[in-house]
Amino acid sequence: MTFEVEAGGRRRAVEIAGAGRAYRAVVDGRAYALDVARVGDVWSLLVGSAEPVLSSPPLHPGRSYEVTIGEQAGGELAVYVNRRAVPVSIHGLTGPRAQRRATRADRTGEAPSGPLNIVAPMPGRIVKVLVNEGDAVVARQGVVVVEAMKMENEVRAPRAGTVKGVRVTQGALVEARTVLIVIE
Amino acid sequence: MANRGEIAVRVIRACRDMGMACVAVYSECDRTARHVRMADEACAIGPSAPLESYLRVDRLIDAALATGADAVHPGYGFLAENESFAAACRAAGLTFIGPTAEAISLMGSKTAARRAAIAAGVSVVPGSDAPFDANQSDSVIEAAAVSVGYPLLIKAVAGGGGKGMRVVTAAGDLPSSIRAARSEARAAFGDPAIYLERRLVRPRHVEVQLLGDLHGNVLPFVERECSIQRRHQKVIEETPSPAVSPALRAEITTAAAAVARSVGYTSAGTIEFLLEEDGRFYFLEMNTRLQVEHPITEMVTGVDLVQWQIRIAQGEPLDIDPQQALAPNGHAIECRIYAEDPDAGFMPSPGRIAALDVPGGPWIRDDSGAEPGTDVPIFYDPLISKLSAWGADRQQALTRMKRALGEYHVGGIRTTVPFFRWMLEQPAFENATFHTAYLDELLQQRRGEPFENPREDEEEIAAVAAALHTVIAVGIAPSGRSAARDVAALSEAGRPPVGRAGWKRLARLEGLRG
Repeated sequence: MTFEVEAGGRRRAVEIAGAGRAYRAVVDGRAYALDVARVGDVWSLLVGSAEPVLSSPPLHPGRSYEVTIGEQAGGELAVYVNRRAVPVSIHGLTGPRAQRRATRADRTGEAPSGPLNIVAPMPGRIVKVLVNEGDAVVARQGVVVVEAMKMENEVRAPRAGTVKGVRVTQGALVEARTVLIVIE
Repeated sequence: MANRGEIAVRVIRACRDMGMACVAVYSECDRTARHVRMADEACAIGPSAPLESYLRVDRLIDAALATGADAVHPGYGFLAENESFAAACRAAGLTFIGPTAEAISLMGSKTAARRAAIAAGVSVVPGSDAPFDANQSDSVIEAAAVSVGYPLLIKAVAGGGGKGMRVVTAAGDLPSSIRAARSEARAAFGDPAIYLERRLVRPRHVEVQLLGDLHGNVLPFVERECSIQRRHQKVIEETPSPAVSPALRAEITTAAAAVARSVGYTSAGTIEFLLEEDGRFYFLEMNTRLQVEHPITEMVTGVDLVQWQIRIAQGEPLDIDPQQALAPNGHAIECRIYAEDPDAGFMPSPGRIAALDVPGGPWIRDDSGAEPGTDVPIFYDPLISKLSAWGADRQQALTRMKRALGEYHVGGIRTTVPFFRWMLEQPAFENATFHTAYLDELLQQRRGEPFENPREDEEEIAAVAAALHTVIAVGIAPSGRSAARDVAALSEAGRPPVGRAGWKRLARLEGLRG
């Protein structure tokens, strides 16, 4: 089974086969033997060459990696290898139909126009709303002040526009990604 | 224990070490926090917002009286430097484990403290001598700013920890900075009063820990170097300071002790100085409480400062050898691990800690209030842990710290661990040629590249692990086999590894396959 995986900003074709603890992975043509064990939430991977180093008895020495994987919003995976974060997203199983779909998505993925939602970058409390409906704003202008963990953070407009809606009031508690201001 | 987080855990441990019981208090969102579960008893004090719980003097006193506590430890932050709290404890017949209300009031007012330092013969940074309250007009402050000179700092009179502090480089920025500083000061300390101070060029931040007992003894400790700051918040501290010679140490600790003696200071306190390149130092302020970075002093002196706070409050005289306090054994360094995303401009990253691997081994100490499964709430300081390392010399302490940072893993939220791994590799840090603006300048030179750069093989393993995760945890069987058997083989904990999110992911992938 082959996946298209983007890791560290680069796409790789990853083929996985196996069962139990023993797997074989082929990454962009390079083959590995994997010994996979799970310890609580941690995966221990011993990664060795696909062919045994000694044949009788077969010996597969492997480099030891500790991996944790969590699901994030938007289909991204939070992967840590040896406690270092690696941004990873799976683009799905490869195959002709999957590729057709991907191409279609690329074609329609133009830059968005029209209304733009300015969202809270983190959960917090609204300290101050700095704009009113109808105001013209320039790029990087502060629109809302959000306080979290005793520090005030100014949320800025990513581009110029006119304020079409103010969705929060002073003192309100907001979750991350709550829409604060709509500009057009 | 009138506080929360790692410092509440630290104080509970000191009590245990002394055979004492400890009562925790908690706000609504802290019900499951570590300090509550560790304590002998715990008492709810109100809603999550600090003003309705950890800053409520009346509720804290009620909790102490209701549980039969003899003494109150304020920790740091919240009410630790609030003289009415110390006075209220005394009035209720409770021993306040800290300085007197009078000392807090005097040294807690940054402007009064400056006058006390001058009276004790210690130089202070040039600045405005009288505080400006909330009603003071901008024009009066502007006039004072001109005589102090730019660049200057606006500071909260009741301040500490960089809260309510702003750098102003030009007169035009003064009004907005005054507004921001007052608002932050009011939120953090309940007091919007501010004052101005000239900003020295490239000074170091060096501070002296003190203990004073109820019998007039004041004992200074070897200095701490806290110049690695981001926006006036200390992020790395070490002791001794690489910039302080034994002669300068004698001078600066004597000056610190003189200021403390002149105000009859008792309990633990810290006098902060700015040190210029030529060796001149200026009194900055006094923190009338236990300091966040106290563990590194404990590591190089072998003195348990929290236990001594309690012993002093009980009336015991200090019997620590002054040479033990002043001559450091080796070197110690501390990194403050914050729930912030360094790759997003150090944006707060509150939330649930999904996984936590804490480093250990030789000469590593982790002071933390966090545990897997607990939340880092939005309401409080983002400090989740203080990681300290000791070595026979600075180089060994740094090497151990790097090793420990490599072992640290916090899942579910972002932390400053990747930043510290990067920071400790910086040549200026290794050579100790830094000053208080060094880190902010260094961060400004960065162009948004991530702090963490996984190696090529780690990226490849991440890709393999993601594919494996999809195959195993989500249940897509490779080679047409039933995934259930593989899952059973792997899931030793007996938990079903296929969660709702897993099925959603499967559905998405199947959708992609068409």
